Amino acid sequence: MATTVLGSNRRGLVESVFGAVRDIGARVLRELRYALATPSGRIGLPLVALHLTLALVGPLLAPFPATDFHLADRFAGPSATYWLGTDEFGRDIFSRVMSGATSIITISLAGTALGIVLGTSIGLTSGYLGGKVDEVIMRVMDGLMSFPSLLLALLVLTTLGPSHLNIILTIGVVFTPSVARVMRSATLTVKTMEFVQSARLRGESATYIIFREVLPNTMPVLTVEASVRLSYAILLASSIGFLGLGVQPPSPDWGLMISEGRSHITDSPLIVLAPSFAVASLVIGVNLLAEGLREARELPEGEQTE
Amino acid sequence: MTITPGPPPIRHRPAQESVEQTRDGVDTEPPLLEVKDLAVTFRTPRGTVWAVRHASFTLRRGEVLGLVGESGCGKSTVAFATIGYLPGTAEVRGTIKYEGRDLMSLSPAELRAVRGSRVAMVYQDPGSALNPTMRVGDQVEEVLNTHCAAQGQAATDRVRELFTSVGLPNPGRIGRRYPHELSGGQQQRVVIAMALACEPDLLLMDEPTTGLDVTTEATILDLVTELKDRVNAGIIFVSHNLGVIARVADRVAVMYAGQIVEEAPVREIFTDPSHPYTAGLLSCVPAPPNASGEVPLLRSIPGSVYPASEPTVPACLFTDRCTIVQDVCHLEPPPEVTAEATGHPVRCFFPDQVDRTIWGAAEARTPRPRTGDAPLLDVEGLHQYYGKLRKKYGLFGPTVSRPVRANVDVSFQVGRSRTLGIVGESGSGKSTTARSVAGLEERTAGEVILDGEPLAPAVAARNAAERAKVRMVFQNPASSLNPALPVGHALVRSIRKARGVGKDEARAIAARLLESVGLDAGYLDRRPRELSGGEQQRVALATAFAADPALVIADEAVSALDVSVQAQVLNLIAKRQREEGTAFMFISHDLGVVRYLSDDILVLYAGHVVESGPAKAVLRPPWSPYTEALLSAAPVPDPDAELTRIRLEGAVPGLQRPFAGCPFAGRCPRYLGDLCDNVPPPMQQDPSTPGHQILCHIPLEELTVEQRKTFAEA
Repeated sequence: MATTVLGSNRRGLVESVFGAVRDIGARVLRELRYALATPSGRIGLPLVALHLTLALVGPLLAPFPATDFHLADRFAGPSATYWLGTDEFGRDIFSRVMSGATSIITISLAGTALGIVLGTSIGLTSGYLGGKVDEVIMRVMDGLMSFPSLLLALLVLTTLGPSHLNIILTIGVVFTPSVARVMRSATLTVKTMEFVQSARLRGESATYIIFREVLPNTMPVLTVEASVRLSYAILLASSIGFLGLGVQPPSPDWGLMISEGRSHITDSPLIVLAPSFAVASLVIGVNLLAEGLREARELPEGEQTE
Repeated sequence: MTITPGPPPIRHRPAQESVEQTRDGVDTEPPLLEVKDLAVTFRTPRGTVWAVRHASFTLRRGEVLGLVGESGCGKSTVAFATIGYLPGTAEVRGTIKYEGRDLMSLSPAELRAVRGSRVAMVYQDPGSALNPTMRVGDQVEEVLNTHCAAQGQAATDRVRELFTSVGLPNPGRIGRRYPHELSGGQQQRVVIAMALACEPDLLLMDEPTTGLDVTTEATILDLVTELKDRVNAGIIFVSHNLGVIARVADRVAVMYAGQIVEEAPVREIFTDPSHPYTAGLLSCVPAPPNASGEVPLLRSIPGSVYPASEPTVPACLFTDRCTIVQDVCHLEPPPEVTAEATGHPVRCFFPDQVDRTIWGAAEARTPRPRTGDAPLLDVEGLHQYYGKLRKKYGLFGPTVSRPVRANVDVSFQVGRSRTLGIVGESGSGKSTTARSVAGLEERTAGEVILDGEPLAPAVAARNAAERAKVRMVFQNPASSLNPALPVGHALVRSIRKARGVGKDEARAIAARLLESVGLDAGYLDRRPRELSGGEQQRVALATAFAADPALVIADEAVSALDVSVQAQVLNLIAKRQREEGTAFMFISHDLGVVRYLSDDILVLYAGHVVESGPAKAVLRPPWSPYTEALLSAAPVPDPDAELTRIRLEGAVPGLQRPFAGCPFAGRCPRYLGDLCDNVPPPMQQDPSTPGHQILCHIPLEELTVEQRKTFAEA
């Protein structure tokens, strides 16, 4: 198979990628609908939806701008004005939590998407081509995987310097090897199937076979992997924020808020508890949704047909 | 599981019992197993599944009852229901009496006690029935320890005795092996030994030979027939293969859509079927050629089995597919009548109108004589090795890894518009040959010449015109179509690739192609899993035809299909050949099918050609001893067929080392001695038929005489 050349004409490539994107969109929607039929999905999906809404319109709904100081009301307890109290600068915690969703969700979503796209492309190509190419690619991935993910993230971030884009790149790079490994093994199963051989016989390019014939059949694995990765991305992004290498003050960021508030935890526990709860509920929501997606797949086929 | 005795779901007439009584009037002992009005439904999230709608039968000791029918007819469920061995979602109605005791009234604990040592089972896949981490002898001994209280030396002796009785050579040594060290046939023998360990009264065999090679199947069937006389047990033998049933069963129950539609002694079923379905099944199986070398017509049953997801309607369930259907068949369920001519129970209104000719005839096929034209495909000295000869110096000294020699010097030709059948056991190199020619595997050496032009080893290195000329149809219809894409995807894509037309035009051509395989254009946008296996395989055929190929390679293309739809696919191949002049390489382990379709036959063994030539010549003496063994093993759907009893033990040998002499020497029934072991046999040309050649040391005249004699004795 090593002799198969990757797609030579550009139209073919566009066609393969466009077709794949269209297919994936339709399938993701369908998968979500099945997930809603499972108990985990029924809890997870609304939780995730709530956080997504916050990410989109949270800053608009918040009672105060997230960075406004109310120096007269420092360390205020929960009240009708400040629902969750205020922090050391008198900033409204509730508003900060609501506004903080945007950065963490965009960062973790974009980071996961990047990791999934890179990992899937590498994993599919490596698995499909096999042989020496596979050997080289996978050893490089193994090398990357041997770093603890937070350590690797810190290494990349300290080199690149903290910025939104760099955090996204970091998460993407950190996730690529494990996604690649999972997708490669899924590809190995699919590539032996007879429809792949039919495609080779009719002279399809490797790019076409990888993205149009193999990729749709790895979707079940991919959706689960993506949702698991997303919850890791949230944790990783908050950890980075907590360590001060992520979103910089005074922007509202959950990880950063926990870090800043931890010296006041005995006086004003809500400064830490509120963002912690926000992170936890998002991670739990994503995990439950992932579980729902996985359970939905195990339903008998008849239940899945429209 | 819930066992609720209740009213029978289907009207039952007592015709059957009266027949039984008249036949066995003197027998006062209760039968081993008496099943009456059995119905099994499964509650699933998708709704109710009516797996068994109505089954009544009796089984006596020392008797083999064959259960036969297409897949999805409830054969296995009936077998397992008789001993209450069904998942918790099953609901069973009717009465099941085991030696006069009503099993339905027993508590789960009592049921287990009856089942534990009195009933044994043999499944389809011996590989998964054995524990891969235990020596096989220990596994059988364990059964003896737990179920029949045999301990220590007694148990060990009993294991040896059992292994001897199932024909395992050198029982002491075999017992110390692990399952993976045994061949499929030996594994199944171990499973049978295990089943016999506690001298069961009832033996359930669920497709015990389906996963095995014909040669191995034949030896296992011999064992079963021999056992039934020796052990005093009743055997229920489930199989979809009428040839297998003909060889082992005493009585046969034919099942359709969860009902037993006909039950009779084996000879009556095969000589005088009274239900149209039985007659249909029989005419779907390729029969051997008659004395003048003509192959009887092959027929097919249209449509597919009445789905188990549909409730039982007050009508005959076979109406949709029946050729002798009349108004009354739609109005009420047929009574269980006794056909006047035969005297056995049949679920049909018109049993007297049934004979084999009620089913539509297939294309008449007579192998065509060779023409002087240049062949379409010329394969010369094809070698296919996997891996390389490597010496490694490791921790434990040097080791040598040798290449697997899947094909060694295979040469053959395929004529224009002709069919070359390729036969051999698994491991003989059939599929490797197909994949090398198609370019899916890169050959190690040799020439593949198509239409006078040499073909590159890898399909990717061939140009579009060359690729369009060779197409393949694969064994597994479910994975031939991409499950994530619409059925028409590959079809339309093939057309666009091969003919360079636009999408709309391609769809129009695709619709016409689907029509030519008997499907309408609506199938283009359906999902593969919505199609039955036969429909999927027809789409796969249409896809293979899309590029107007000169050669289509069908690798076990009908092996995974029910007999009722096999004929449809075979007929489509024959039609394509007649109308478009397409040549076929038809690969199958089923000699009956190959015989039906082929103009020429190539017999492979361990990667070597052992015989090739025009079909007629290959199918009559002289044969190579291997062909002779294959023919002898092939199951024939006729209980009276006397078969030459040539049986092969073991499996195709490992392909790492070159053979010093004849590749078949180790298993050959006509083995001569040192000559076969050490000297490569010559490829002898048959002077009576040009092109017929046999790889053997024995002179052809001698082979002819000996083989005629063996045939005459049988």
